[in-house]
Amino acid sequence: MSDSPFWNEDWMKTQQKYWENWTDMSRKAMGMEQPAKSPLESAMDHWWQGISPSTTDFNQDFMGKMMDQSKSFFRLAESYYQNAGQSKNWLDAANSTIADLQQMFSGGMDNVFNGAETAGDDAMHKMMAFWEMPMDNWQRMVSSLSLMPGDALRNMPHTDGLDRFLSAPGLGYMREEEGQYKRLMQRMAEYQRALGEYSRFFSNLGLLSANRLRDKVQGLVEEGKQIDSARGLYDLWVSSSEEVYGEQVMTPEYAKIHGKMVNSLMAVKQKLSHMVDESLGSLNMPTRRELRTLQDRLQESRREYKALRSEVELLKEQVMDLRKPSPASAEPAAKQAAPVKKAAAKKKVSKKKAAVKK
Amino acid sequence: MQPFNIRPDQMAEEMLDYSRKLGKGVQNLLNAEKIDTGVTPKVEVYHEDKLSLYRYEAPGDVVQSSVPTLIVYALVNRPYMTDLQENRSTIRNLLAAGQDVYLVDWGYPDEADRSLTMDDYINGYLDRCVDVIRKRHKLDKINLLGICQGGAFSLCYASMHPDKVKNLITMVTPVDFKTPDNMLSAWVQDIDVDTMIDTLGNVPGELLNWTFLSLKPFSLTGQKYLSMVDVLEDENKLKNFLRMEKWIFDSPDQAGETFRQFIKDFYQKNGFLSGGVKIGERVVDLKNVTCPLLNIYAEQDHLVPPDASRALRGITGSKDYTELSFPGGHIGIYVSGKAQKEVPPAIGNWLDERSK
Repeated sequence: MSDSPFWNEDWMKTQQKYWENWTDMSRKAMGMEQPAKSPLESAMDHWWQGISPSTTDFNQDFMGKMMDQSKSFFRLAESYYQNAGQSKNWLDAANSTIADLQQMFSGGMDNVFNGAETAGDDAMHKMMAFWEMPMDNWQRMVSSLSLMPGDALRNMPHTDGLDRFLSAPGLGYMREEEGQYKRLMQRMAEYQRALGEYSRFFSNLGLLSANRLRDKVQGLVEEGKQIDSARGLYDLWVSSSEEVYGEQVMTPEYAKIHGKMVNSLMAVKQKLSHMVDESLGSLNMPTRRELRTLQDRLQESRREYKALRSEVELLKEQVMDLRKPSPASAEPAAKQAAPVKKAAAKKKVSKKKAAVKK
Repeated sequence: MQPFNIRPDQMAEEMLDYSRKLGKGVQNLLNAEKIDTGVTPKVEVYHEDKLSLYRYEAPGDVVQSSVPTLIVYALVNRPYMTDLQENRSTIRNLLAAGQDVYLVDWGYPDEADRSLTMDDYINGYLDRCVDVIRKRHKLDKINLLGICQGGAFSLCYASMHPDKVKNLITMVTPVDFKTPDNMLSAWVQDIDVDTMIDTLGNVPGELLNWTFLSLKPFSLTGQKYLSMVDVLEDENKLKNFLRMEKWIFDSPDQAGETFRQFIKDFYQKNGFLSGGVKIGERVVDLKNVTCPLLNIYAEQDHLVPPDASRALRGITGSKDYTELSFPGGHIGIYVSGKAQKEVPPAIGNWLDERSK
C-alpha cells in the first residue's frame, strides 16, 4: 500500500466519481449523449469534426496531426488511470501500465501488419498506433508516389503457392504479356515481404521500448525523482521509444531492411512504368522513356549553348578591352608596337569566332 | 519513494487544462491564415531557368563590406530558413554586421529538370551567379557561405574555381559522410540509387520528408504537436511554430541526376575523403581550396553530426582554417535566439578581418 495520505478507498471512490463526472460533463458539453468507451477521445473527435470544415487545408492538416497526438497522450493517461483504479498503489499502476505495453508489443504489431487487429476502443490497444508512426509515415510517402491512396500493396498475400505460380513459364500467344504481369506480381510480392520485415523490426522495438521505460522508471526511483503528470509519463515514453529506435536503426541489420524495402518498392514502380510505357507505345502515344531521352538531349544542348554563350561573352569583353586606348599608346615609343598587338589579338578572336560557328 | 505521483484529480485537471488550451488555441489557428517567410527586403539581380539570385538590402546606417558574400543554400528545403522572421534572420544579422549579402534560390525543379547534374548546378548555375556578382562589384574574388549540402557544393566550387573565392564559410556542412553517428549515411548504404533515379526521375520532396522525419519519428511526428498545445494561446508563438512547420514540409523535389551523383559519390563513396570525385570535366580536390576557411558546426546536429563537419580540418590546402562550434541543432543554428546573437556577428568579424 502506498504511503501517500491520499491513497485510501474513500478517496479513490471520490476521485473515480470526479473523473466520471468530468468526462460525462465533457461529453455533454461537446453535444454527445451516447456514452462512449473512450469518452475523452470521442468528445475530441466530435468537437474536431465540428470545427475542421472551417479551417484551411494547411491548418486542417496541422490540427489533424495535433489531434492524433493528443489522442495518444489521452490514451496513455486513460490506460494509466484504469490501472490505478485496479491497483493497490501507484507503483502497481505504473508496473501494470508498462506490463500492458510489453504484452501489447510481444505480438501486436504482427496483427497490425497482417490486418488481423480487432477494432476495439481499448486505450492500450490504440496506443499501438504510436509505434505505427514510422510505418504510418512510410504509408503516407508511398501514397504520395502512387495513384492509389495508402499503400495498396501492404496486405497483398505472398504465400509460397503464389511464388510457385508466378515462377511457372507462360504458354501460347500471350506468353510475353503473361510473363510481364507475372514479373510485376513477383516484384509486388517481394515488396510485401520487405515491408513485412520492416514492420516486424518495429514490433520488436516496441517491446524494447517498454523495457527501457521500466528501466527509466527504476532510474527515477534511484534518483529520488517523481513523475507527477500524465504529460511527464508521455514524455518518458517518447524518450524511451526514441532512444531504442535511435540505437536499433543504426545497425547494419536495419540498413539492409530499410534498403530492401525502398529498393523493392522502386522495382515495382519501375516495372509498372515499363508496362505503362508499352501500353502508351502501342497506342502510338509518347512514352516516359522517350520523354526522358528528349530531356537528356535537350539538357545536353542547353549545357553546350550556355557554355558557348559564356565564351562569347568573355570574348566580347576581351575585344572591348582591346579596343580601349591603352595608356601606353600615348607614349611615342609604344606607338609602333600597339598595332601589332591589336592585329594579333584580332586574329586570335577571329579564329575563336570561327570555332564558335562550328 | 514512489516514481509516480499522479493523482486522479490532478490527471483530470491536467486533461481539462489541455482541452481548454486546445479549444481556445484553435481560434488563433483559424485566424492565422497567411504565414509570411523571407522578411528582409531583397532585389532579384539575376535569373536563369528556375534559379534566382537575390541581393539583400542593407540598413542605411551600416557601412557595408567591399567584398560581397554569396549564400549557397542546399537543394533540400527552401533558403528562407536563413530569413524566417524579423527576430530570427541570419541574413538580417549578417547585414547588420556590415556584410553585403547575396543568396542563390534554386527554385523548385520539375520533371524537365531531371537531367540537371552537379556539374550544371556547380560549374553552371553557381559559377554564373559568382560571375554576375564579381562583375557587379568589379572584383576577381567574392566570399562564399555554404549551408549544409550547399556547403558541400561550395567546397567543390572552391576547389574547382579557387581564383574566384576570397573566403569560404561552411555551415553545418558534411565532409566525412561516414562517421559512425551519421544516421542518414547508414540508411543510404544499401539503397540502389540507380534504380531509384531511373524509376522516379526526380526524387520527390515527400521521400525526403519521410527520411528526415524518420530520424526522430516520435519527437518529430508526435511529441512536437502535443507541445504545440502549450503555445496555441500565444498568437506570436503560434505563428513562429507555423512558419517552421511550413518550412519543414516545403520540400522541393531533387533533380534526379544531381541526387544520383551526390548520394553515390559522397554518401556512399565518401568522396571528399577518398577522392576521385569528378564534376563535369573537373576533379574535386580539396587541396586546391587555399582561401581562408571558417567551418561552423552545431554540437547537437542530428543531420550532420559534428564529426562529419570537423573532418574538414587539415584536408584542404588552406593555411587559415578556423572552427566555430555552436551549442545547438541543425536548424537552431539559424533560428535560435542565442544563434542570432552569436553566429552572424562572428561570421562578420571573421570576414572583416580577411576582406580588407
